[in-house]
Amino acid sequence: MKRPYHAAPLSRRTILKAAAAAGVAQFAAPFVITARAADAVKVGMIDPFTGVYAAVAQNELIGVKFAAEQINAQGGVLGRQIELLVEDSANDVGTGVEKARKLIERDGIQFLIGDVNSAIALAIAQVSNEKKVLHIVSGGHTDGITGKDCHWNVYRVCNTTKMEANSVAELLFNKYGKKWHFITPDYAFGHTLQEAALADLKKFGGTMTGNELTPLGTSDFSAYLIKARAANPDVLLVLPQGSDMVNCLKQIAQFGIEKQIHVAGLQQELESLKAMPPEARVGIWMFEWYWKQPGVPGVDKFVADIRTRSAGKVPTARTWFGYTSLMSFALVANREKTLDGVKLAKALGDFELPADVKLQPNKCYYRKGDHQLMTSAFVGQALKEGKSDPEDLFQVDSIVAGDKTSPPESETGCTLQWPA
Amino acid sequence: MTQLILFNVTNGLIVGAFYVLMAIGLSLILNLSNVINFAHGGFLVIGGYVAYTLEPYLGFWGALIASPFLTAIIGFAVERLLISRVYGRDPLYGLLLTFGLAFVFEDGTRIIWGAQGKPFTIPAFLSQSLSDKFFFITGYRLFMVAMVAVMIALLFLLLRFTRAGMRIRAGTLDLETVAVLGVNARALRSLNFAVGIFLAGLSGVLAGGQLGLEPTMGAGLLMPSFIAIIVGGVGSLVGTLVGGLLIGVASGLTAVMLPPASEAIMYVLMAVVLLVRPRGLFGEEGMLT
Repeated sequence: MKRPYHAAPLSRRTILKAAAAAGVAQFAAPFVITARAADAVKVGMIDPFTGVYAAVAQNELIGVKFAAEQINAQGGVLGRQIELLVEDSANDVGTGVEKARKLIERDGIQFLIGDVNSAIALAIAQVSNEKKVLHIVSGGHTDGITGKDCHWNVYRVCNTTKMEANSVAELLFNKYGKKWHFITPDYAFGHTLQEAALADLKKFGGTMTGNELTPLGTSDFSAYLIKARAANPDVLLVLPQGSDMVNCLKQIAQFGIEKQIHVAGLQQELESLKAMPPEARVGIWMFEWYWKQPGVPGVDKFVADIRTRSAGKVPTARTWFGYTSLMSFALVANREKTLDGVKLAKALGDFELPADVKLQPNKCYYRKGDHQLMTSAFVGQALKEGKSDPEDLFQVDSIVAGDKTSPPESETGCTLQWPA
Repeated sequence: MTQLILFNVTNGLIVGAFYVLMAIGLSLILNLSNVINFAHGGFLVIGGYVAYTLEPYLGFWGALIASPFLTAIIGFAVERLLISRVYGRDPLYGLLLTFGLAFVFEDGTRIIWGAQGKPFTIPAFLSQSLSDKFFFITGYRLFMVAMVAVMIALLFLLLRFTRAGMRIRAGTLDLETVAVLGVNARALRSLNFAVGIFLAGLSGVLAGGQLGLEPTMGAGLLMPSFIAIIVGGVGSLVGTLVGGLLIGVASGLTAVMLPPASEAIMYVLMAVVLLVRPRGLFGEEGMLT
């Protein structure tokens, strides 16, 4: 029998429900990558492999996989192979927490890596803390992770937002001028980043002409840009990340704003620069790691190794975050000859990364008091076109050591509560 | 301040025009097929990426023309193979199907083109401001508005003066009777769906020039389009047009007064319209209820 054309009429309510569901649509279903082996040391990784941070998360995974491959080739951890269990947080806090519980309770992982999203990183750190599992936050920047919300079992590889601001602020002030206008993503990461930069600006005696809080996922920045230009600042600081940053800088270039106002920012990433057309690649920024470091031991080999594992693409700061996170765990476990979470967490305090892992000229070590990695800031300028390589889109002018950009341990607000 | 408001009204109209292009396609499909096409954002992304792939061979203009047609062909195939199976069923079937398709498209894009965003270049002469004072009016944005205007005019002519267009309009009101009169309703729906997806593909190419190409870009642009339809009134293409422009302007003005609320204002507007005039500004009483 033929079905009628409008058997079940579509009500306005259905359409409204549909619209509400559209908001959830971005949180896609998970997928799992496993390489199971008997008697292996299980390492869990949670990152947003779907959603707006998928590109950076995938680069972190490339780094983690490469580290696992190297560690296993050299005999593993305590003579056991590493088995990697990868879960997708789908850029959603609830999903991330659920995955962290699953990895720890059901799969019995000994070590956890993740997440790119600051809010998820904070949430899963609570789970790992409750379960006493050593955890390295690879790529979530908000200060609290190694500040007021720090835990004895949680370390962090990437910079804090304060470290990022401190690395570039003075240069921007001296070179570009003292009236600053901010475009800030309206969530934890953006707020702390903007506050840190504003604190520096005030310290130098500058003024803020305005701060445009933009919702995460903003595609059209024109209204904010109209307002920012009307305020006539010396510098326009673009703080959104990922596709938001790409959209913002693309529109800035189309409007020609960079010809009247200095456009710059704090954190910049190769993933974002690659996604922009040449004219949008402008300004002074900081990278957290850069693949071109002439004369620094191990970097060229690392770049060549990653290229063979990622269709010829160079490693980004994210690749290095992932790599360093897992290498730190393996190195300290092999040195201490234990997998005990508390012992390993104690041993990582003041742990200095060897040359073939740190891959930067300055000393690179985890700080005992707040568990933050003292890693360098690569300060420089975005390049319109790569000179020797299409992926060489950043000119590093100075590499500032982490302990110079980071506030002292006493100012981070971190008090570590060790288990009895 | 007056200048700032004037600037933002103009800018809001430009932004709104883009929402209109996407929402009209969505609205066409909704009106005739009773399917809330959640995968519309996915088709937009396909349109953008196909143009990105074609650009080295055909140039920007070639890609601009070819990509919407290719997207429409994909849309046609999807409609024939999948969407047509849920016609006449509870609307939730169509919703679930297109909801799933949206994920398939997003991950498919990620598998084919990579999670990394892609730069889509537009001709240099378009990517510049027309004047220093009105810096936010670039050649490209004017071009986008012109494209939207042309598309709406063509759509109007199609619906008004062609046989297929008249059948689509009649079908929107009562498809059963139209079918009884001997019109091939299945073909009509397929054609209508393809036209809607053509507009999604075109939106994708145009968005690609303005924003970065990225597998998740469709999801962000889908919401304003839904709101445009609800505000304008389900079943009315004119309503969709007004709704899109209205939320563009409202969002632009809020960005001046209260920047963090510039997105929330669209939802506030929708809530107000639903409270005061539940059928939407131009929606007809009883349409789709």
